[in-house]
Amino acid sequence: MARHSVIDDTAPLGVVIVGAGFIADHHGAALGASARARLAGIVDVDAGRASAAATAAGGVPWTTDLAEALARPDVGAAIVCTPNMTHEPIAQQIAAAGKHLLMEKPLTITVASARAVVDAFDAAGTVVMAAHTHRFYDYARAVDDAIAGGAVGRPVFARLALLGGWIWPDWRAWVLDPAKSGGHALHNGVHLLDLVSCWLRDEPVSVYARGRAQTAAELRIHDYLEMHVEYAGGANAVCEMSRGHRPSTLDRRDVLVAGTDGVLQLPADGWGSTVVTESGTSLLHPQAANGFAVQLDAWLDAIADPAARRAMTPADAVRAVALGVATELSIERGEPVTLDEVMEGARA
Amino acid sequence: MSERTLGVLLLGFAGLGPDQDHQQDMYLPAFEAHPGFDVVAKATDLTDSALADPAVDVVSVCVAPDRRADAVVAALRAGKHVLVDKPLALTAADAARVAAVAAETGRVCLPAHHQRFHPMIAAARGAVAGGKVGLPWNVQADFLVAGGTPSPAGELANFAVYPLDVVLALTGLRVRRVFARLSTYWSDGGADDFALLFLTHENGLTSTISVGRTRELADTRPAGLAVHRYRVSGSHGVLDLDASRPAVVLRRAEASSSTWHGAGTVDRLLDELHAAVAAGRPSSPSAADAVHIAEIVDAVRTSAVSGTPVDLPQEGSR
Repeated sequence: MARHSVIDDTAPLGVVIVGAGFIADHHGAALGASARARLAGIVDVDAGRASAAATAAGGVPWTTDLAEALARPDVGAAIVCTPNMTHEPIAQQIAAAGKHLLMEKPLTITVASARAVVDAFDAAGTVVMAAHTHRFYDYARAVDDAIAGGAVGRPVFARLALLGGWIWPDWRAWVLDPAKSGGHALHNGVHLLDLVSCWLRDEPVSVYARGRAQTAAELRIHDYLEMHVEYAGGANAVCEMSRGHRPSTLDRRDVLVAGTDGVLQLPADGWGSTVVTESGTSLLHPQAANGFAVQLDAWLDAIADPAARRAMTPADAVRAVALGVATELSIERGEPVTLDEVMEGARA
Repeated sequence: MSERTLGVLLLGFAGLGPDQDHQQDMYLPAFEAHPGFDVVAKATDLTDSALADPAVDVVSVCVAPDRRADAVVAALRAGKHVLVDKPLALTAADAARVAAVAAETGRVCLPAHHQRFHPMIAAARGAVAGGKVGLPWNVQADFLVAGGTPSPAGELANFAVYPLDVVLALTGLRVRRVFARLSTYWSDGGADDFALLFLTHENGLTSTISVGRTRELADTRPAGLAVHRYRVSGSHGVLDLDASRPAVVLRRAEASSSTWHGAGTVDRLLDELHAAVAAGRPSSPSAADAVHIAEIVDAVRTSAVSGTPVDLPQEGSR
């Protein structure tokens, strides 16, 4: 396949950030710290938000027109942080412009559109990666390193819980609209579904999920998700994602992996330091590598050498979407849903 | 009355597996150490003469699981109170038969679900019941034993009763729906050694239990608990319970270990047995509790085969 690289190997890659919400700040900071890429501009449908973000980033160019940004010769790539339902058309536009893409998770909110996006980047010969940032955090890499080193033998059972309190805005938040976010399984559940699949080194075959509108009965998404994944090799995983736990000052990150030769644990109370003050108890997170920066490097590696083994492949991104879709479907039906069904349904 | 010493017949020395002998290893020492009990007789199998002995108030039943329900029924009909090793019966139908006779005779029939008497768990039961976390809506539990001899009957039959009883005791909410997976990861035989139970209870509470037996681990005594914990999430808080605590942790040149002082879970189980007999009330847990657990275990087997959730009959519909 022809390589349509738009950069030479010495100049930093010009990257525009599309969608100036809160997660864009993390990507912007990673770009700011990178010698291999630079923030070339901000795109947002809201001119006020775009200009404010551009000013905060030191006066980079901004626009409300993605096509205009993509037409710039000094822009080689985009990091997209827009609401989930916009991912597909924006990704297609970036592929058509021949640029590289780091897409905030989920890649898209349907399996068919995720596949179409991957196909479009294949055809363009550019790199698309979904930002499953948890893969790049120290805790996830510690677990992965241990498993890769054979510490537990063949991993057969994994538990991953990310439990926190409410972090979203009010009822107007797009995340709370399943038509816009795809539901919580697509929005946040995919983080865990992707990570345990990566740890277990096995292919998921079915999902049994239960969801709960914990914070308010009127929620149309499930702020608490419990997802069981069964794998082709016989392994099992139980993932919990919550924005309905209390108090929000004490988030829980719990990992348990049992393997044929041992057990690995990151207990909930092994994560951070507990701070008890007059105003309550909170958690002090440990100093850690910036997962967004590590992820940026992985994406830049893929752009520099598309043939090299990737930290997160396009197929991984499609699989995560399929797992998220299967989760939402399983909650709706109250029964397990096979990956074959959601993958085949997407082909039909 | 409560100070009366109760005569105990130890009946049967069998278990779920060739080297499982809870009578000898757990109940005998606990009865001997307990001031409220006096072991007056031992028998390997059921005989009319053993049950006719007026010195026997309580029969501790550890006969082979396939004949256990019959032995318990005979003891109850002979007017004796019964402590019965887990599982009380291998099927819900057998358990229900036992519970019916217990209700009819008014004798105490205590299934040996002793983990609910663990000091952390007993405290948590009180806290949850008292509303410390508000209205509970989810429980996550792990009960992973390391090493020891795998049970030929499978670890679902062998172990699941313990975390199931704890979850039911913590929440007080019966199970209505069961989805489950059974696996064999560590055992060379064909029996299951890992079960995942996804339960839907009354009032919409959900629970998930992992239970099984891994290979041996250096820091865990053979057949000891490598992971034993519960998390109860409620409308107003979360209770994290690690049943490897309370513990004084000992670190030496060899593998670490831990120790604690005070009555063990089996000692506290016998406290309950004595108190129930003395008060003339059903024990807690009761035979009826064991019936519900047996129903859940039956449903786990059905679901594991079908790959779909199984709805339990509602209480009173049996």
